[in-house]
Amino acid sequence: MTHVRRSIAGSTRGVLLLVGLTVGLGHAWLPAAASDAQADLPAVLLSRQLAAARNLSAGDVVELSGDPSGANPRRFRVAGTYEPMPDPIRVTSERLEVRLHLPDLLDLGADPDDPLAADSLSAINITLENPDDAGVFARDLAARVPTVGVRASRGGEGDRNPFVVLGRFHLAIAILTLTTSAVFLLALMVLLADERREAVGTLRLLGLTRGRVLLQVLLEGALIAGAGALFGVAFAALTEGAFNRYFQWRYDTALVFVRITPSIAWRAVAMALPLGMAASVLASWALVRSETLALVRR
Amino acid sequence: MTAPARPIVEARGVSRVFPMPAGPVVALRDVTMEVGEGEYVAIAGPSGCGKSTLLHVLGCVDTATSGEVRLEGRDVGSLSDSERSRIRLAKIGFVFQRFFLLPMLSAIENVELPQAEAGVPRAVRLNRARMLLDYVGLGHRADHRPSQLSGGEMQRVAIARAMANRPRLILADEPTGELDEATGEAIAGLFDLLHKDGTAVVVVTHDPSIAARAQRVLRMRDGMLLPPPQNAPQMAQVTQTGNKGRADGGRT
Repeated sequence: MTHVRRSIAGSTRGVLLLVGLTVGLGHAWLPAAASDAQADLPAVLLSRQLAAARNLSAGDVVELSGDPSGANPRRFRVAGTYEPMPDPIRVTSERLEVRLHLPDLLDLGADPDDPLAADSLSAINITLENPDDAGVFARDLAARVPTVGVRASRGGEGDRNPFVVLGRFHLAIAILTLTTSAVFLLALMVLLADERREAVGTLRLLGLTRGRVLLQVLLEGALIAGAGALFGVAFAALTEGAFNRYFQWRYDTALVFVRITPSIAWRAVAMALPLGMAASVLASWALVRSETLALVRR
Repeated sequence: MTAPARPIVEARGVSRVFPMPAGPVVALRDVTMEVGEGEYVAIAGPSGCGKSTLLHVLGCVDTATSGEVRLEGRDVGSLSDSERSRIRLAKIGFVFQRFFLLPMLSAIENVELPQAEAGVPRAVRLNRARMLLDYVGLGHRADHRPSQLSGGEMQRVAIARAMANRPRLILADEPTGELDEATGEAIAGLFDLLHKDGTAVVVVTHDPSIAARAQRVLRMRDGMLLPPPQNAPQMAQVTQTGNKGRADGGRT
């Protein structure tokens, strides 16, 4: 049960190319005794989670095998640890990962009976120094190597980006929540409007026009909805740290679960205002349209 | 010097019919009357005779089914709802049996409200609101809310509010109906004062002591005005009072 999944990360510069190997840990992990020869061993990076789970640190020697049975292990020196790239799709999986230099990985996965298999990879992740070049790089590589399927996992990837999908999912939840809140506000405003029947009648008797009363209702609705939206944004901004800490602890990840950006704040206010105003007008419509005397009659 | 009073409000052949599921209800039948500038008129009669309906039609709160209503010579029957609202705001002061003060506002804010709606600058309207509350004897309760005032005090605030935009006509619908006799007398005294200061006052009442204070009493029954008794005074020859001491501070 050694090898579970393989992924590779690297840069366009060969010097910095690293290869990641995601492993299920079993007997293949054998911390070895330190020796003078350690410095000559190939270096690997361990994910923070893996280092913590196996109590490993920089300088330790480990054995890795490309075979699920742990056969033909090779020794590596732990050069350090890294924080895996947060991935919402893998939030529930343990990030027990190791990164190797590409030649080491190829050697590790090579089958002595099938030398050509060493060159066989199903997928390779490439990290660019400038992530914004991902789209251009993907198109360029796809043009140069037509047999390879290339897609950018960051920048210009559009609908397939998990964050974009999640963002839309959250937007849908937000719309649903706001709409439900507007209905709730509508119910409250209907009750409020009925209680204020006499007050509206008094204003009309004094000479306020229907339009003036409607304007007041609109402003009131905007004020209530705006205040509610601002309160919600402020509450979310104040508590996002606590939410993030809890879920980062819960799933042992650096993934940011809640982030209130100016765009989100504006969107919340922009959605809440018209909904609140519409709810207010809807609730008060009958009141505004009523004859003045009908409003003040007992 | 006396002069014939010009009518500030007049009704000619006014009828008001309310359509009801059980059949139309005729509240006013061919009513013709007028109120002169600065005149004090009481409208009396039993409950349901159409007194309040007549007041509402005269005050542009309601519209006549037929006939003509003129305010300062202008036919108000054909005006839109908004135009009639503006007339109520600028030219007519209302006092109601149930006061209709806004409970969330203090006394002075209630008096300020019509002025604010008319676009009077804050400093000016605040000054006038204080003056009007002093006029009705409530200067010391200016910051009290209606819930902190007695019935008589609330009605005083309502009278001050009715005077806020310097109307030439005050319409009062049973202004003492919810007050005890002594308080009612005090409120009636305020209408006397308004009249003395040159404002036309029309009071709907079934209280004979209130009606007796008016220069002229119109009696109604079944939606019609009854002819005046032989010994009743005719249309008043109203003395044009000077501006000194008037609640409106002088309109001219």
